[in-house]
Amino acid sequence: MEILWILIKILIVFGVVMLHVAYATYFERKVIGHMQVRMGPMRVGPHGLLQPLADGIKLFFKEDVIPTPADKKVFYAAPLICLISAVSSLAVIPFFEGFAIANINIGLLYIFAFSSLASYGVVLSGWSSNSKYSFLGGLRSTAQVISYEIAMGLSLVGVMMMAGSLNLTEIVHAQMNSSFKVFLIPQFLGFFVFVIAMLAETNRTPFDLPEAETELVAGYFTEYSGMRFALFFLAEYIGMIIMSCLGVICFLGGWDGPFRVPGLPFFWFVLKVYLFIFFYYWVRATLPRYRYDQLMALGWKVLIPLALFNILLTGTIKTIFG
Amino acid sequence: MKIKYKTKKGLIERILLLEILKGMALTLRRMFSRSVTVQYPKEKKKLFPGFRGRHALIRDPKTGKAKCVACMRCASVCPSQCISIRYSQDEETKARKVTSYEIDALRCIYCGYCEEVCPVNAVVLTEEYEYSDYVREPLYFDMNRLLKNWDDFVAKNKIDPRSYINPFLRPRGASTGELPAGKRIPVPSDWTLEGQVVWKNGKAVPAKEALKS
Repeated sequence: MEILWILIKILIVFGVVMLHVAYATYFERKVIGHMQVRMGPMRVGPHGLLQPLADGIKLFFKEDVIPTPADKKVFYAAPLICLISAVSSLAVIPFFEGFAIANINIGLLYIFAFSSLASYGVVLSGWSSNSKYSFLGGLRSTAQVISYEIAMGLSLVGVMMMAGSLNLTEIVHAQMNSSFKVFLIPQFLGFFVFVIAMLAETNRTPFDLPEAETELVAGYFTEYSGMRFALFFLAEYIGMIIMSCLGVICFLGGWDGPFRVPGLPFFWFVLKVYLFIFFYYWVRATLPRYRYDQLMALGWKVLIPLALFNILLTGTIKTIFG
Repeated sequence: MKIKYKTKKGLIERILLLEILKGMALTLRRMFSRSVTVQYPKEKKKLFPGFRGRHALIRDPKTGKAKCVACMRCASVCPSQCISIRYSQDEETKARKVTSYEIDALRCIYCGYCEEVCPVNAVVLTEEYEYSDYVREPLYFDMNRLLKNWDDFVAKNKIDPRSYINPFLRPRGASTGELPAGKRIPVPSDWTLEGQVVWKNGKAVPAKEALKS
């Protein structure tokens, strides 16, 4: 019975997230379009609402080209590594009170581990494609993920210290019981570092160096086409959703809101996640790409010291007042 | 002017990335502004007189034929040399008669020199612009096709061919004396120096006054 319930939960979460990914692409194009005083997709269905469907069908029927010099096995495995590690992270996210596929005690660590694993997919795809653009994209991704993983981990240490737990449900409960109701206010430095590291971690503008269109064609997935390309795309958007969820759980109080919405226990959670995703688009519409040295300088000279300072501050205050 | 590549920034400004926040405020404002997109096949932009579209030979209302006198000015002025004209000449009167007039629309760059230079306003670039095709043949206009283009244009836009005018048939600003007889056609009042209005310091001023100062 237990297993059946878990399977049902998995199906629900997977289905809902896939639907969100499809429409995340649509809203991304719409939001960026309107920010650039354009309209975005308008032709497929009313206001282009069926665009994700059309894109999906197109990607599904595209020819799957594999370059002759590519390392076939790794080439096949890379997008799967990306996708699986992204989807696996969904397992520990509590969408509302008592609804998490796996309520494990190391939830935060688990998400870190899988977001690091996802970068293996990127690196391996760059390596196995045997193309200079993919290779450069893969290399950049390695350096970037290593730099920003540290900042991101450190930014969440403050949250761990305040909640006293790595369990994501516990973190939300700790926020409900805290005086501010959210960790955003006492942990604003951590939140600031987290938001920037989150953008870098998911390879989004302004840190999209691994897939810099203007320099590297498409970066690490240049040689991929059809469904395999779609897998990378899915992984990127699921990654965005995971990071948004993580931000909501760790800083914005999870599913807790100013009042309870009857019948929709996930209302506040979803709303906050949408805000985060909107923020992703907003940043993409605004900022140009960082230069490589700027990326490294921001990561090592600003974010990591800031995150360390935040830990020191949190620790000091906790020792004196707690 | 000396360009300052690195502006001095305070510590808070550097850490909190204030400039980025300013930029984000701008994009957010733009999101709620009207988009400038014209949804082309559904909406179409208004064309102004002098729009250079499909070529045509104006059908003379009196004779029902083209006005061309085979002076060859259009063919010589054409930068892409897409106009080819053949004519026969009467031995005694030396009068020329056009036997073929062809325009290769695929070579044309739509500069409008041909209609501007034509002394009798025979050739014109109409306001028709939706005439793309999958093959080349229909875009190589011979004389009949060019006359038909004119008829289509007149019929479609409900134009009176006697009073049709555009800024190439009667160049703006040119005095009547400078023009060949065929181009001395009456113009709308806002085309003349008296009626023309120009923008100066953000205000609409009669062109004559603007020229004086």
